[in-house]
Parts: sequence; structure tokens; C-alpha cells
Amino acid sequence: MSLKQGQKVEIFQCSKDESWEQYMDGFVGLHGIITDPDASINDPDDLVEVSVVGKGTFRLPQDCLRVLED
Amino acid sequence: MNSGSCPVSEALIELRERLDKGVLSHPRCRTIAEQALGLIRDIAWARAGRDHLQALEGLAEQLAAWDGDPSCSETGQHLKSALFEHHEAFASHIKTKNCPTGQCVRLAPAPCQMACPAGIDVPTYVTLIGMGRYDEAISVIRKDNPFPWVCGLVCTRPCEFMCVRGRMDEPVAIKPLKAFAAERAFSTLTYNNPPKAPDKGRKVAVIGAGPGGMSCAYYLAVMGYQVTVYEDLPVAGGMIMVGIPRYRLPREVIDREVAMIEELGVEIKFNTRFGRDVTFASLQEEGYEAFFVAVGAHEAYSLSIPGEKDFEGVRDAIAFLKDVALGERHAPGKHVVVVGGGNVAIDAARTSLRLGARSVTIAYRRDKDAMPADHEEVEQAEQEGIHFAYLTIPVEVVGENGRATGLKCLRAELVAKPGSDRMAPLPIEGSEFVMEADAIIAAIGQKVDDSCLADLTAVDWTHRNTLCVNSVSMETTMPGVFAAGDAVTGPATVIEAIGGGKRAAQGIDRYLSGLPQPKTPPVPVRRSMLPHLQTSAETKMTLERPEMPLLFLDRRRTTFQQVELGFDEAAAKEEARRCLRCDVCLRCGKCVEVCRDRMKVNALELGYFDFDHPVKTDFRKIEEKCILCGACATNCPNGAMQIRDEDGWRVLSLCGTRLNRAPLVQCSMCKEPLGTERYLEFVKNRASQGGVPVSSMYLCVNCARKTGAHSVSENLPHNHGETP
Repeated sequence: MSLKQGQKVEIFQCSKDESWEQYMDGFVGLHGIITDPDASINDPDDLVEVSVVGKGTFRLPQDCLRVLED
Repeated sequence: MNSGSCPVSEALIELRERLDKGVLSHPRCRTIAEQALGLIRDIAWARAGRDHLQALEGLAEQLAAWDGDPSCSETGQHLKSALFEHHEAFASHIKTKNCPTGQCVRLAPAPCQMACPAGIDVPTYVTLIGMGRYDEAISVIRKDNPFPWVCGLVCTRPCEFMCVRGRMDEPVAIKPLKAFAAERAFSTLTYNNPPKAPDKGRKVAVIGAGPGGMSCAYYLAVMGYQVTVYEDLPVAGGMIMVGIPRYRLPREVIDREVAMIEELGVEIKFNTRFGRDVTFASLQEEGYEAFFVAVGAHEAYSLSIPGEKDFEGVRDAIAFLKDVALGERHAPGKHVVVVGGGNVAIDAARTSLRLGARSVTIAYRRDKDAMPADHEEVEQAEQEGIHFAYLTIPVEVVGENGRATGLKCLRAELVAKPGSDRMAPLPIEGSEFVMEADAIIAAIGQKVDDSCLADLTAVDWTHRNTLCVNSVSMETTMPGVFAAGDAVTGPATVIEAIGGGKRAAQGIDRYLSGLPQPKTPPVPVRRSMLPHLQTSAETKMTLERPEMPLLFLDRRRTTFQQVELGFDEAAAKEEARRCLRCDVCLRCGKCVEVCRDRMKVNALELGYFDFDHPVKTDFRKIEEKCILCGACATNCPNGAMQIRDEDGWRVLSLCGTRLNRAPLVQCSMCKEPLGTERYLEFVKNRASQGGVPVSSMYLCVNCARKTGAHSVSENLPHNHGETP
């Protein structure tokens, strides 16, 4: 997934990535905005910074994200 | 607002229901329950102090121990278990004055504050700037971030992406406002440190003087710890000093804010590399009880193409920017090609230009749309004359006599990758060409240089070669060792490093105090509840986000002077007035619903309330339909919507923005204010629909009654005192 700053996303599932922590299970179903995509090489394995509505800003693996609009 | 349940709100609702339904029959028991309800309400309404929780636990205990009435002891037990299970949530409400679920409506935090990785109370400091109280604004920011000036210049501003004003037009310029306030506070000598707690006599070592390390050091010093920072470089600041060029972030800005941290007693040992000059064991011997590792990600990825290691003139952007930051002033070459599409690539290109390169080209394998660099940085680079070669894949460095002369590249096209929505660059066969270049700078990413951390044998690493931590407390897998910043996240943002440093300081304090670590991320703290800035709907709508004044182009191309010149005072104060005060209005929509569904007026078209599908909002249009009935204000749970009578006028405002005003009509007889003409017409129409005759005069209830009674009395036959 090539993510862009300002893009709206949904955390649609828990990630299997090691960086996924238990408290993040509560994010599933919430929407957010990409505030910092992977910094330079568009690596699908990179963590991206997402501001999750009502929860805060976190580095999340990309496999839990679904783009809501272009 | 947000999903999820709030134990404070649930306890409040449950106890109120028990009281309302008369479940508690014993009078003394009811009194205790009412007292408990009052205390919970205080907690949910940001009025609680430190003693509230203890007092509440005492009342729950009294109820639970009640002998005479089983319902009473059951209520007490229930409350006791809620307080026990959710002790952290109750304590967090008291401490932070924020409820992230939004269910305690008075404590619903603003989206900008929630979005900030350091949890800065944005609405409070923006309002303080609007009031001209810049020193207080800086004090508020520094409670959560000791680098307001740095962040005012280089933050990636997640807050602005979540800014609700952005759903109407442009987000509030939160970042530049912070820079303005910091500069003003330094200039007027009102940028002060908070008071320090008494010395605890315990030592903490911080490895790395970057934003994460210095933030952790700052909060630990404020808490009373003795902090020493070990830094490999001869300067403080880490990547913000050696990775961000001076035209974006002047050195003086970093020096001044670092000096404020040093004033708190933090000692920085420069040119001291962890793992070489000092070790984990040697520092333990010196009495350090906890360690914070924030070594950053200073090692660059190489291009891994033929010729890269064979010719002079090929280097990585991280080393290049570091050399320039530490004094190198020679151009890397006459014709420079920078490979990459992130902010580091832009920084390397613009730096090369300022050092005198004749041509600078950024080669990026995807298109402009996919470029991860900040669009403002890209725009400024284009203005300065940097060339961009998109869809260009480097394949070989070519050269003569040991010196690079060009970069052989292939043209690419973006194609869909099977099983993925990610477009991948595919080289076009036969499209080979050579870009003239005597300097080739690779800016394709960084990684953690783990060589200095070999001592930390019990620390786990992720598959990304970053330090493995619990992101709530920033604890590593090695007891007493905490970490944050790029060494944990990989190359990330300054504000994330600062937030991580602050969380780590709290984690270290708990560790050294023998307390358990929290299980969920900290809730940002509401620092104040300020009155609204007053403005008209017209002003609120027409104020535009100010353009950032920039240094003129010739000087930008030739010197390292700061490009963004910052707002002047008038622009900063005006900009602060664009804030919608989302710390007060939580956009619950109750005002809209009552106006539309109950009153059938539908004046409040506040389209920005919806996160996913915001529609147009125009505060100026509200007065076209609004009858100033006040139903919206009555139903507003937070006092965001207010209606009041002022000097013969009725005024409706939303967080200080005047939405409508109209003269009050007075009672024709006693002159008591009755409402606006449009409101009285509304009532009259409703009443006449019901068939009730209404006088053409405007009378208050008392005068109408008197008039009615008089008229009836006149029409009755005189009874001469006879009884019926």
C-alpha cells in the first residue's frame, strides 16, 4: 500500500506484526488520518504514523490499515 | 465522538439511576449515595481534586458496610468494585481533566491535542496566543514538550491534520503559532523553566542528546533526578542538529532550548560514545540506576548498484548533512544528483544548492504524488530551482579516473502489483540514459547503528532492527533500560521522539519508585479551561490562514538563512481566532438535532461536525433562519452554545463566535424582555395552529394574566356581594 500524508484510513483488523500491542485491539473499526507515511522508500513493511480519532497518534503496521478515500 | 466506555461515566449513570428509582430507601444511606454521586460528578466535570478519590472510596466503603438495607450494601459493593477495577481511569480523569472516550462530555479532549504524540494542550496555548499571553502559552506547551521553538519550525504537525477547522477551510496554523510564541518569549526574557522537585539523589543516564533524549532528561530533571546525557557528537540536538539544515532550523534555536534544559541541572558529556568511552557496566558502577537509550537512526542505506563504491563523489545524505552541520562548506560537486523522495533527499538537494552546486536534481523512482516528502518542502525546493526527475531508477554509477561523472538510470512506469493496491515502478526496457553528475547523494532511508548498543545484551530487537519496547512505558526487555526516538520507531518525527522521551521519563520514575507501569497510553492533560475569544461569524468565516512569509529567492539559493520568516504579532493573534475551541465544543450535534427535529427551524447547518463526510459550514447563514429560541444552548452539554441578553439584545454564540443577535421585544406593559420578534412570531404561529387566540400586544405571562382577569371581571355581571 502506498500511503500519503493526509489520507483517511480505517484500522480494519488487528495486525500480526510484532509492533502491534494489546491495547491497539481497541483501535479496530476506528478511523484516522495518515500523518507521516513511511519516510523514504515506500516500504510496505514500514510502520506509518496514524492519528486515530479519539485515541492519539501511533506508529502502526500497514497490514491493519485500509484507505477510506484517495 | 469516540467509541468505548468510560467507567466514570458508567458509575455516575448507575448511581443516579439507583437514586432516581428509589432503590436506596434508608435516608442516611441515600444521603451517603448522594454525596458519592456529587464526588463522581466532580470527577466527570473536571472539578475534582486530589482528595476526591479517597473520599469516594470512603463513602463506597460506608455503603458497602451498611447493615440495615441489602440494596444499600449492594450499591456500595458495586461502587467499590468499580473504583478498584478502574482506579487508573478515575485517577486519570482527575489528573488529566480529559476523558478520551468523550462520554464525560466536559472532559472530551480536542482532536488536535489527542493527535499530538506529546499530548500538547493545543486549544489552550492557541487561545493564550490570541490573548497576547505568550509566556503562558510557552509554559503550557513546555508541560508536554520542552522544544516549542524547534517544533514550531520543523514539526510534521499531526495536530493540523486532525484540526476540525480543516474540515471548513484550512487548519489553524498551529505549528507557526508555536514558533511565534517561543521566539517572542525568548525575546522578552519570559521563556522560563518550571520549578524543580527536590533532589531525589538518584542518577539516570541518557544515551543520546537528540530530541528524545533531551526531552526525557528535561522531565526527569523537573522530577528531581540527577541526569547525565552521553552524546557521541560534539553538539546537542542529534538529528535535529546534524540532519535538519540550518535554513529550516537555525542552530541558535536548538542551542537556546537545550540551554534551558541544562539550566535545570542536566549535564551533557559530548564526544562520549556509549559502548566505547562509557559502557553499561561502567555507568552502573558510577551509580546510575536507570538508562534511557535514544541513539537515533544515523546509518544510511546504500544504493547497492554497480560503481557505488568505485568512484569518488558518491556519498549518503546523512553523512553529507552531518558534515555540513558541523562546518563543511564545500559544494559536493558541480552537478549533484540526489536519489530518494523523502524529506532527507529534499534537505540534501537544497543544501547542495546553497553550497554552490550549479545544478541539483532529485531522482525518484515513483511519481510526485507518491513522494513522501512534505509538500511544502517540495514546493520550496522547486521554487529554488531544484530539478525533479520522477519515475527514474538509478542502475549504475559511471565515472572516469576514479571520479563519478554520471548516474546511469532507467525510466520507469507505475504498474499495479499483483495482490496489492500498491503501484510499483517497473523499469522500461531500452530507456537507459545517463544523468551528468560529479556528486551522487543517496537519500533512500536510514537505520539504527546498533554497534554502540552491544553492551545491552538482554535487549530485544525487532525484525526492522529497531529496539523492542512497550510503547506505553517505553521499557525495553532489559530491566531499567528504556528507549525511544528513531532507535525504536525507525526514522520518524521529532514530535514522536519528544513524546516517547516524555513517556519514558514517566516510566523511569515509576520504575525507580517501584510502581507498576500503566497498561494503556497516557491520556493528554488539559492544562486550563480558558474563556472563549469573542468574534463575529463574519470574522470567523473570512479570516484566512496567513501565508508564511519567506526569505527572498536569491538569498535562499545562496545562504543558509532561515527561509520561513514567521508570523508577525497581528497575524498570529488573528490566526488564533480561527480556532474552533474543540476542547469545549465536542461536536456531539445535539444543538443541530434540537433545532432541526424538535423546533423544526433547522438553522444550524454545522457541516464540519462530521469527521468522515464533512459538508459545508457557514456560520454567517445561521442568522437567516435562527429565531434565537435558545433550545440549542439549553441542550448543549458543555456550554459551548450560549445564549444571553446584553443591552437589549439577545445573542447566540458558539465558543465565542457570535452566530446571531436581535433586539429583544419587551412586554408592552411591564417592559420585561420577552424574546426576539422572530421568536415571538414563531410562538404565535405555533399557538394559532392550536387555535388559541393571541393578542396583538406583546405581554409577559403575568401581565397577560392580569389583563385577562381584568377583562373577564369587566364582562361579569356585578354581584353586589351576594354569594352564589
